[in-house]
Amino acid sequence: MNEPLLVIEAVTKRFGARTVLDLAGLVLHAGRSYALTGDNGAGKTTLLRVMAGLESAELARARYRGRDVDLCAYPEWLRREVIYVHQHPYLFRTSVKDNIGYGLRVRGTPRRERERLVHEAVRWARVEHLLDSPVHRLSAGEKQRVALARARVLKPRLFLLDEPTANLDTESRQQTVALIRDLCDSDGIALIACHDQEIIQLPGICRLHLQGGQIERRWSPLPARGPTDAGSAGENVRHGLADGLPLQPVAND
Amino acid sequence: MDWLSTTRQAFWLLFSGDPDLWAIIFVSLKVSLLAMLIASPVAIGIGYLLATASFRGRKLLIQLNQGLLASPTVVVGLVLYLLLSRQGIFGSLHLLFTRKAMVLGQIIIAVPVLVAFTLAAVQGADPRVQETTLSLGASRLRTALTTLAEVRFGVMAAVFTAFGRVVSEIGCSLMVGGNIAGFTRNIPTAIALETSKGEFAEGVALGFMLLALALVVNFSLAFLQGEGGLR
Repeated sequence: MNEPLLVIEAVTKRFGARTVLDLAGLVLHAGRSYALTGDNGAGKTTLLRVMAGLESAELARARYRGRDVDLCAYPEWLRREVIYVHQHPYLFRTSVKDNIGYGLRVRGTPRRERERLVHEAVRWARVEHLLDSPVHRLSAGEKQRVALARARVLKPRLFLLDEPTANLDTESRQQTVALIRDLCDSDGIALIACHDQEIIQLPGICRLHLQGGQIERRWSPLPARGPTDAGSAGENVRHGLADGLPLQPVAND
Repeated sequence: MDWLSTTRQAFWLLFSGDPDLWAIIFVSLKVSLLAMLIASPVAIGIGYLLATASFRGRKLLIQLNQGLLASPTVVVGLVLYLLLSRQGIFGSLHLLFTRKAMVLGQIIIAVPVLVAFTLAAVQGADPRVQETTLSLGASRLRTALTTLAEVRFGVMAAVFTAFGRVVSEIGCSLMVGGNIAGFTRNIPTAIALETSKGEFAEGVALGFMLLALALVVNFSLAFLQGEGGLR
């Protein structure tokens, strides 16, 4: 069995006297994606933000590909591996192209290579028609798709997506879900905080439920459709046991 | 005093290319633009740091800056005079009554304005800007530049306001420049002198020039902000 990509060994986060997160032993395996569910205020966003190094915590110990990491003193190299996308993504007030190419530019990717990758990402996110629109005129769904393209173009290993389909109308939701599905199929791992049934029920997605600051239940993925994913459900049972998490099917409420 | 003939004379001076008059305008522009060129990058950097970094004494520095914002230019001139005069600490530099001294004074006047406006602009920036740049792998310097670019209209307002203040201030220029004709005489000091001599036409001509400068500055700000100022 492959070494897990990321193991959150212990995270404790308090806001004043209230403990928001107090979890241990969350394991994320490569080649799989995870839906993080939980009530509003359960700490989904906080967990993602701590994992992305955008929020401090009292304690945040992790192992990334076998390497010990203190998420409170977030190492620069980990930023190249993990990308967080806001629930309402912020687009820089430049152009859609510059937004998507931003991460490549700060990495010093040569201009021609950058243009090629941006072009590819624009097509992937189906935002060709927005290239000339001012970014502040984009709809919520369009912004979300540009933000996903902006993250994907950097080929991170771990995507942390915060409620990517919340507050979107049906059509933009479906477009966004299609992108996320593609992301889960082909790219790195995605950990997606959401309530969206369509995402939770995507093939091959494991469900993690956050309650009382802890990962409480775990939902085995539905059998995947592709032949490559055959047996993933059984494999996940083993993961679940190995992680020492109580494993029980939960209704998709 | 005949208003009509004074105004006519003033325009005649301006448009006939009176060399003395244009020398005065040239001094004003040169000194103020140079002061802004030096003060802006430093002060914008300080404003950004005060808005984003947390360190001991940050609050005190912000309050100190707010205090300096209200300092009368003539007091800045007085302090600078004492420092630069022959008996002063920097007397050996022989800077008193030079354009360099005027530039120095205007830098001191511009910095608090630039810092305060930049601080407010960056504090008003969307917190997601920095989170996004960090998550996309930007360095601290790149994050700073992107953030300042995102609040560019606030930063531009800082620069234009500071320029408006230094180009029109008289207290400091008079004290440390000395209003020497053809050398340190700028628009405000010349207006005061000419008017006190009873040479109203030249005063009015320079007054028009100063007003025109202020209008150009304000119009360019409005033009640059354009639609981009809207959300």
